Amino acid sequence: MSTATAVAEPAAAAWEELARLAGRESGERAYLARLLDHWRSARGAAGAAFYACRDGACRRELVAGALSTPGEPRFPEAVEGEPPEGFTALRLPEALVLTPAGGFAADAAGAAEPLALLLAAAARCLALERRLKEQHFQVNYRGVELEALYDVGLAVASTLDLDELSEEVLVRAVSLLDARRGALYLREGDEYRLDGTFGGNAADAFPADLPALESCLEGAGACPVELLPGARHLLLVPIESDRERRGVLVVADKESRHGIGPFDADDRRTLGLFANQAAIAIENARLHRQALEKERLEREMELAAEIQRQILPDELPEVDGWDLIGWNRPARQVGGDYYDLVRLGDRARIGFAIGDVTGKGMGAALLVSTLHSSLTLLRDRGELSPELVARLNRHVCESSLANKFITLVVGELDPSSGWLTYINAGHNPGFLLRAAGGAVERLDSTGLPLGLMAAGAWQARGVELAAGDLVCLYTDGITECASPADEELGEERLIALLETHRAEPLSEVVAAIDRATLEHAAGLPQSDDQTVVLLRRAA
Amino acid sequence: MTESLKLTVDHAGGIAVLYTEGYINNEGGEQIARAAYRLIEDDQRTLLLNLQGTKIVNSIGISILIEIIEKMIEIDGRLAFCCLTPTIEKTFHIMGLAQYAGIYPDQETAVRELNAGRPA
Repeated sequence: MSTATAVAEPAAAAWEELARLAGRESGERAYLARLLDHWRSARGAAGAAFYACRDGACRRELVAGALSTPGEPRFPEAVEGEPPEGFTALRLPEALVLTPAGGFAADAAGAAEPLALLLAAAARCLALERRLKEQHFQVNYRGVELEALYDVGLAVASTLDLDELSEEVLVRAVSLLDARRGALYLREGDEYRLDGTFGGNAADAFPADLPALESCLEGAGACPVELLPGARHLLLVPIESDRERRGVLVVADKESRHGIGPFDADDRRTLGLFANQAAIAIENARLHRQALEKERLEREMELAAEIQRQILPDELPEVDGWDLIGWNRPARQVGGDYYDLVRLGDRARIGFAIGDVTGKGMGAALLVSTLHSSLTLLRDRGELSPELVARLNRHVCESSLANKFITLVVGELDPSSGWLTYINAGHNPGFLLRAAGGAVERLDSTGLPLGLMAAGAWQARGVELAAGDLVCLYTDGITECASPADEELGEERLIALLETHRAEPLSEVVAAIDRATLEHAAGLPQSDDQTVVLLRRAA
Repeated sequence: MTESLKLTVDHAGGIAVLYTEGYINNEGGEQIARAAYRLIEDDQRTLLLNLQGTKIVNSIGISILIEIIEKMIEIDGRLAFCCLTPTIEKTFHIMGLAQYAGIYPDQETAVRELNAGRPA
């Protein structure tokens, strides 16, 4: 029980000082501090503490005199509920003043004193000031929100880097909503894939038809908290452009000074507005990335086409008494067909080859390149033989993927004798049209395609070409060229063409085959590479 | 992305510099406030917050920074910021922090200006 004592009122000079402080702009705290000190002094206490209170919790704002003195408890930083033992409390509107208990005026007596009235008024002013500040803060923060929306709008025109934009969107969403965590998911096919995360782990992906997703997005049901393991409160909004959902923006665990809590309707509206702005920027960046990727692929394909153009012979050997020609039209920028006509190392023989790699495009073109370099190297080391093809096969097996193989006719021509040796590794049969007439002879397969298995056996065969005899080697892009009725050009039509044009210059024969395939396809896009090699002994 | 705040304190040109890395939110802001109040108790009257490693600050973090500024004003001290991202700098201007705390582009400029502003 405390003992009441007389309270000393401040001297006239002190009242004047208080009046001066009260009139000073922004001097509220200094005024309160002085009042508090007078209050402490009037009670002969070593210290007094002023606490600002809200919702039953009081926080220490000011201390006059000593924070603690020997033998007395230290003023606590916060007071909740009843004042702690050892202190005398003066309760004020939204405030509390503590002085050490013992030998001083009781609460009721103190409250009636002029100083207590002034303290009450000052506390009220301080509380109003605090509320004003909070409102000012809220108004300013609305400015920050608007600025964030504006900035994301600007990003539509300025940022085309999707990674950079995604991070910017995520960071701004988390800060704008006072969230502790966040994640950005972008739609890929029938699922949403994680594009970025902030503040902790997030699920890598989730199906587009995830149960509870729609009701969560509409704010009508619980959200799938498993997306952000450990999070307690989720807010999801869709990212939509052109009426299509491009992604989902997630924020989690709204912060306050007292911990975390759920988001409210205002938060949903703010994040929704933000996501709408972000959607346009993200879509622009995504399209830009696709365009860049397409451009890069086109550059690579152009480079590959250039490499392949260099692989195919740009001029053919001129041999007295012989006509030779090769022709190729890839279905795409780069193809899987290959041919070669070249003088061999002894300058007497002519080497020829025609091949077809399974598939088309870049993968086939790379294997064509491997075939060309291997064949060139092996040919430099010796004559055509089954062993040469076996070594070529082993090399192709080691260089290619399991599902890739090559059909190939490789051969040599001795121009002086007219003797043609060939090995046909699983390729379409070549056609030999004799000048003397008779049935077309077929240069059939003499072994397996290359690359199917490391072990294999191939036979070399030979034919002698007389004056006017024509050999035609081709790839299946010619004979399997389909009409709109899905009918193939076929071997018979090709043979008929060859018979019709066999005496014409070889360039005319090739032109006839070219015309025939185009007419047969009747405007359908070319589906496979087309290649022809012709050898004819002059009549 | 850096998340919870890492805070280190050092001195440059006689000024206490608090380096932040990560999110200035409730937890991060409280961490800064504790460090700042310890420095004040150690009689430091000029503090510089180097935010080079911070890309994100939320409203709770800002309100705590405002409290630190108020505390510095109360003791006639000074608080300044440097190395802010454009977004954070804009936010500080809108929220009024720039009225009571200096904002400098880099630490060297901040230290020089803060030292020049000290009474001789």
